[in-house]
Amino acid sequence: MSDGFFGGPGGGRDLRIKEKFFEFNWGLLLLLIAIASMGFAMLYSVADGNWDPWATRQIIRFCMGVVILFVVAFVDVRVWMSLAYPAYAVSLLLLVGVELIGFKGMGAQRWINLGFMQLQPSELMKITLILALARYFHALTSEQVSRIRFVIPPLIMIGVPMALVLKQPDLGTALLLAVVGISLFFLAGLAWRYFIVAGIAVMGAIPVIWSRLHDYQKQRVLTFMDPESDPLGAGYHILQSKIALGSGGLFGKGFMQGTQAHLNFLPEKHTDFIFTMLAEELGLVGAMTLMVLYLMVLLFGITVGLQTRNQFGRLVALGVVVNFFLYIFINIAMVMGLLPVVGVPLPLVSYGGTAMLTLMLGFGLLMCVYIHRNMEINRNPTSFW
Amino acid sequence: MAMGITSKNHDKASRGIPRLGYDMVARPDFRTEASADLPETRTLARGRKRIGLAIALFSVGFAVIGGKLLMLGAGSLTAPTQVASAPRPMVTEGRVTRPNVVDRNGEVMAIDIMTASLYADIKDIQNREEAVQALRRVLPHLNEKTLRRRLSKAGGNVRLMRELTPRQEYAVHNLGLPGINFEKEFKRVYPNGTMAGHVLGYVNANNEGVAGIEYHIDHGDLLAQEQVAVSVDMRVQHVLRDELAQAMSTFSAKAAVGVVMDVTTGEVIGMSSLPDFDPNDPMASEDNARFSRATLGVYEMGSTFKAFSVAASLDSGLVQLGDRFDARKPLKVAGGFSIRDFHAQKRELSVSEVFMHSSNIGTAKMVMELGRDRHRSFLSSLGLLERPDIELPERGKPLLPARWTDLSTMTISYGHGISVTPLQMTAAGAAIVNGGFKVSPTFVRQDGDLKERKRVMSAQTSKSMRKLMRLVVAEGTGRRADVAGYPVIGKTGTAEKAVGGGYSRKALLTSFLSAFPADNPRYAMLVMLDEPQGTKATYNFATAGWNAAPLTGRIVRRIAPMLGLKPEGNWQSPLQSVSYTQR
Repeated sequence: MSDGFFGGPGGGRDLRIKEKFFEFNWGLLLLLIAIASMGFAMLYSVADGNWDPWATRQIIRFCMGVVILFVVAFVDVRVWMSLAYPAYAVSLLLLVGVELIGFKGMGAQRWINLGFMQLQPSELMKITLILALARYFHALTSEQVSRIRFVIPPLIMIGVPMALVLKQPDLGTALLLAVVGISLFFLAGLAWRYFIVAGIAVMGAIPVIWSRLHDYQKQRVLTFMDPESDPLGAGYHILQSKIALGSGGLFGKGFMQGTQAHLNFLPEKHTDFIFTMLAEELGLVGAMTLMVLYLMVLLFGITVGLQTRNQFGRLVALGVVVNFFLYIFINIAMVMGLLPVVGVPLPLVSYGGTAMLTLMLGFGLLMCVYIHRNMEINRNPTSFW
Repeated sequence: MAMGITSKNHDKASRGIPRLGYDMVARPDFRTEASADLPETRTLARGRKRIGLAIALFSVGFAVIGGKLLMLGAGSLTAPTQVASAPRPMVTEGRVTRPNVVDRNGEVMAIDIMTASLYADIKDIQNREEAVQALRRVLPHLNEKTLRRRLSKAGGNVRLMRELTPRQEYAVHNLGLPGINFEKEFKRVYPNGTMAGHVLGYVNANNEGVAGIEYHIDHGDLLAQEQVAVSVDMRVQHVLRDELAQAMSTFSAKAAVGVVMDVTTGEVIGMSSLPDFDPNDPMASEDNARFSRATLGVYEMGSTFKAFSVAASLDSGLVQLGDRFDARKPLKVAGGFSIRDFHAQKRELSVSEVFMHSSNIGTAKMVMELGRDRHRSFLSSLGLLERPDIELPERGKPLLPARWTDLSTMTISYGHGISVTPLQMTAAGAAIVNGGFKVSPTFVRQDGDLKERKRVMSAQTSKSMRKLMRLVVAEGTGRRADVAGYPVIGKTGTAEKAVGGGYSRKALLTSFLSAFPADNPRYAMLVMLDEPQGTKATYNFATAGWNAAPLTGRIVRRIAPMLGLKPEGNWQSPLQSVSYTQR
């Protein structure tokens, strides 16, 4: 990062490293550390007061995540803009790659081993899709956004990875990709008529599709909507999860005192169901504290979206925020039985590497956008350097 | 393209080093006047409105989960646990008073008892240290530090201990400490312990039912009742659990399930799923023990299912008792799959022989005469294809083939490729033997007149099935189930458990579907053992005829007299004739 790259004269200048340090929002980092620390405490408690096997590894991953955040944040936002399409292409290739490898009989491999951790291309796709769509919409005027021929390419950009992920098959992630993509359409200013028409079309199509489905396909949809139909699994666990949630009371049973969790009674208590354990041990107050911390991060992200003067940064920031929100909402709604059980972790708190990496990458981009929020970028830069 | 700004920036950028895009400009701290009317700016302005809507959606999302969280927590908020400064009467309001649960003969199965909890009203405490020492003297198990901390609070009413015994209450009372008071609270007690845990369920810390009949009491609007009578007979329940536990240990089985049902009313007279738990302290048991295998677990039942397939065939009129089916060689079906017989006879078999020797080939051929749809709708009419409508919340949903093909029909005819709950199985068995009326299982005692019943097969079919099932016990695989004086009818089933992608020959699930007395059955019963092992006494056989059948016999021998059934024939114990009357 030489001076020539970031240095520049007068009003239209690039930022120096030192300036970036001043611009860096340390409050957000503190928030993230606070949230992650609640996770560490819970992982310590899950292991009955041991740092192993979960807490230590989670801390190491978080630290690596912080490093990633810094690196990503300090790179010029235009670099990310120029890398948006290539990055999207790479993750698409990775998705196709694991599909092929899995298909060739080496077992259903959805993971790529990075040595210190496993990476799931579909997770990476969540971030690169945001980048690519933001890059695309950045190049359009508000009138162009709603023209049909400009609507088709981003639809394809969402559709292709969705189809690949669906084929894995991972309905949950595919739906997440769709929701994030559609929100970007919305935030980019796509005319209301599209949403209204699409809404009506979906409503109208449901009965038709339903009547054409095979019995076994219907069954599958019903099973998805009714978790209790999995007699050994979801319904039972949700019931127990609810008991644990309620049993915490206002202040909880105290750290490391949650009987339900420690009696080996909660499923997946260190990963997807960690919120239940938190609510039991730290009570309503603890759970609400975590939710307030999450809310503050979301508000920060939205503020960045409001302040940023370039469309690319705005959309990236909001895409990251939407993604983060979906994680939180789906996970908490799931453990409370409002949604069927899907494998979505509680962001920054659940034990797990890929989600942590993706999230910190996302926050790095958010921070990067924040640092460069006052930068105005032409709609169609003819060259990057 | 916004040429204005591009050219302007070009000037500025060209003064620096033009390695970066010449038409991109970074302005950390101000925006130009000129940018106000650019299309970019308009795009941003429009986007901001959209963000407002996004914020609204986020808020709704958080409000939903936050609200639900509050609702879930609220139950415990009103409970004494969290009483900090609330006025005293609040204390007992959190805990619900519940009706007693009694068995069909009025024996108490669950009851609320009054217990005392110890509270300290901080503002009335005169001497904290003295109070701590005095309390520790009579309640030595209380932690001194915790006690001191609780008594150091600024004010309010602090709970120190729950569920004091009368002796403890008396001792504390005698200390005469000012500010130390008692509150009355209700606690649910199950005097029979583990006896009928899976029927009764349990309550949470607020005395609200969260499983079993207790759940039904809360959600079926029975809280105001004085007592709730379940259909279970404690004596039968005791025998059932006792025999199942013995069999489970004799055959080193992983689990054992038993259901006894009145074939007319569908009342469950006894139901046990081992391992089980003590509802007085459900969380002390493992997950596995709280799982009700009888109502929530679904299993591939194996040959026991043939009873329904044969009944379907006979009832359709397309198959007669005398028809013969070729069982000389394995039945080859699509996909290189072939159906074999366990007790292969290698000859042509009549319907009775197919049933008696439990021929998979014969049964599969028989239902193909009948056709896929007729077989399926017959199973459906017995209630085997959907979640049973019972009072308990632990209701398992049958697992059916994703696509019901001819091959599925054939495997289902002998009980593979379909998983149902043992409770459903028993109810369907009851319908086969009760003259052909559908049976809807229930856990609540049915008083008053018999409800109108739906006929699902002809009386003649039911009669034939009783004969066939008697044949199994008299001469077939179920010989060890027979009881002198109380003839039993039934069908054995030995299913290989699905392990990984295929079926395991080692891991078996044995069951025996039975009814008694033979000529006019009053009760149906299903017993099931999960992975029983062979013993010396069974010559290392682990099939149903060697464990589930004799288990059935042992249970019938003990419960038939209790249920007021007279032994067949002339023999009668003098004691019995004065003790029991036939209902």
